[in-house]
Amino acid sequence: MLEVSNVSVRYGHHLALENASLSVSKGEIVVVLGSNGAGKSTLIKAMAGLVRTEPGASVVLDGQPLHKLPAHRIVDAGLALVPEGRHLFSTLTVHENLLLGAFLPRTRDRAEESMERVFEVFPKLKQRLAQIAGTMSGGEQQMVAIGRAMMTCPRFLLLDEPSLGLAPLLTSELFKALPSIATTGTSVLLVEQNSHQSLSIADRGYLIEKGVITGQGTAKELLESEEVQKAYLGG
Amino acid sequence: MFLFALLSGLTLGGVYALVAMGLTIQYSVSRTMNLGYGEFLIAAAFSVFVMFGAFGISPYILAILVVPVAFGVSWLIYRVMLMPIVRRARSPLALEIDSLLLTFGLLFAIMGVLLLIFGSNYTNYYYLSVPVRILDATVALNRLVSFGAAVIVGAIGYWLLMRTRTGMVLRAVSVDPVGARLVGIDVNWAAGLAYGLGGAIAALGGVLISTYMTFTAEMGVVFTMKALIVVIMAGVGHVLGALIAGMALGLIEAFVSAYLDPGLTIAVIYAVFLLALIIRPQGIFGRVAR
Repeated sequence: MLEVSNVSVRYGHHLALENASLSVSKGEIVVVLGSNGAGKSTLIKAMAGLVRTEPGASVVLDGQPLHKLPAHRIVDAGLALVPEGRHLFSTLTVHENLLLGAFLPRTRDRAEESMERVFEVFPKLKQRLAQIAGTMSGGEQQMVAIGRAMMTCPRFLLLDEPSLGLAPLLTSELFKALPSIATTGTSVLLVEQNSHQSLSIADRGYLIEKGVITGQGTAKELLESEEVQKAYLGG
Repeated sequence: MFLFALLSGLTLGGVYALVAMGLTIQYSVSRTMNLGYGEFLIAAAFSVFVMFGAFGISPYILAILVVPVAFGVSWLIYRVMLMPIVRRARSPLALEIDSLLLTFGLLFAIMGVLLLIFGSNYTNYYYLSVPVRILDATVALNRLVSFGAAVIVGAIGYWLLMRTRTGMVLRAVSVDPVGARLVGIDVNWAAGLAYGLGGAIAALGGVLISTYMTFTAEMGVVFTMKALIVVIMAGVGHVLGALIAGMALGLIEAFVSAYLDPGLTIAVIYAVFLLALIIRPQGIFGRVAR
């Protein structure tokens, strides 16, 4: 169970995120929908410890507070982020990228096991282990990025616009993989700009607008809601 | 003359390659530029000079003492002096500028201490300065031993970086610090380690060079500049490239000095540097920045 409450982020004078609160239960897939610049990325970065939050914010994973920890300790606590732009180790091989995912002592002994899990979700990667990550296509790099995050044995996986820049076919392939990650008890929170696809695999969703969470509902409710249709699903 | 130039070029280039490797590790992992880098080399040369004079112990054995101390001091400098500016840096560029200013001060602080103790005189000592004949050229034994040590340590260092887990972690941090944090790597820990390793390698370079070169307290900056040229020419963070370019720099120096004029070496090196920058701004072995 992850509970996020009162998270605000300020970039200089600009309040990018204001008192955001949400919660995700174990094994749930939750999507945060918002347009460009709505504060989705900021929300997810704040949870992962990559941007500083204003006082009063709290992020609690299974009873453990994360909001005071540096980013590398948050990973150790079980929350992994697949960031926008992927941030792969581009000059290293796919194998090295995945191995680095198991850097932490708590994950090191399970590295082989975890890698098998990654291959179950993304069988393609098994043949590409020796390839330099930066030379792969965008979709394949996204698989490596998700695989690397899976190697950290997360209880909670955050994905920042995984479909960004991918061809529609690749996007659906990627989204199909997410439920199989969630079935093992890992919760998934993803932010997306506009997507039938993200709602079709999600259990619940939140709407975010100008840095404020404006609505929430089950995926079914959101898919049927007129307001959502207009704002995010292209009519 | 050709063989003589080749031999002195290789022996000098071996140490340049080693020293450049240390700087590229520091620079690429910590993202801070250490202008005081060469001072570590000179400080090590002076410490060996003093201890060799006092106890008559071989400089190569003294390296076993000097190198770990340099590691510790460098590590400490990162933790105490650089970490605060890393914490408050708003952007990678701001960090680079802040670190340049800070280590510019460090350069003068270390140089000042050395000047105070040793003065500004040229210093040297004699160890293993026995001529060895190779075909029709002679070369001093200390140069050969130093070259051998540089090659061995350079090769071991490269192997450690490419084949060990810690080496892989350092490479990962140098490629993408954000990605590194997201797999749980403490980037400050890695940068401190890289600083220590760099300082240790610089000190070893100082020990090796001191056996056959005359040095002064003010010479550190010369080595910083040469190492920097090699690092940038090779492409920042490219360790193998730094080893190759360092060797090439030594050879160029030796051949220019033998066939043209010793006074022209610096000019030719900067000309080559400029040419490399114009043709391949990302470095000879570097990739275009993402």
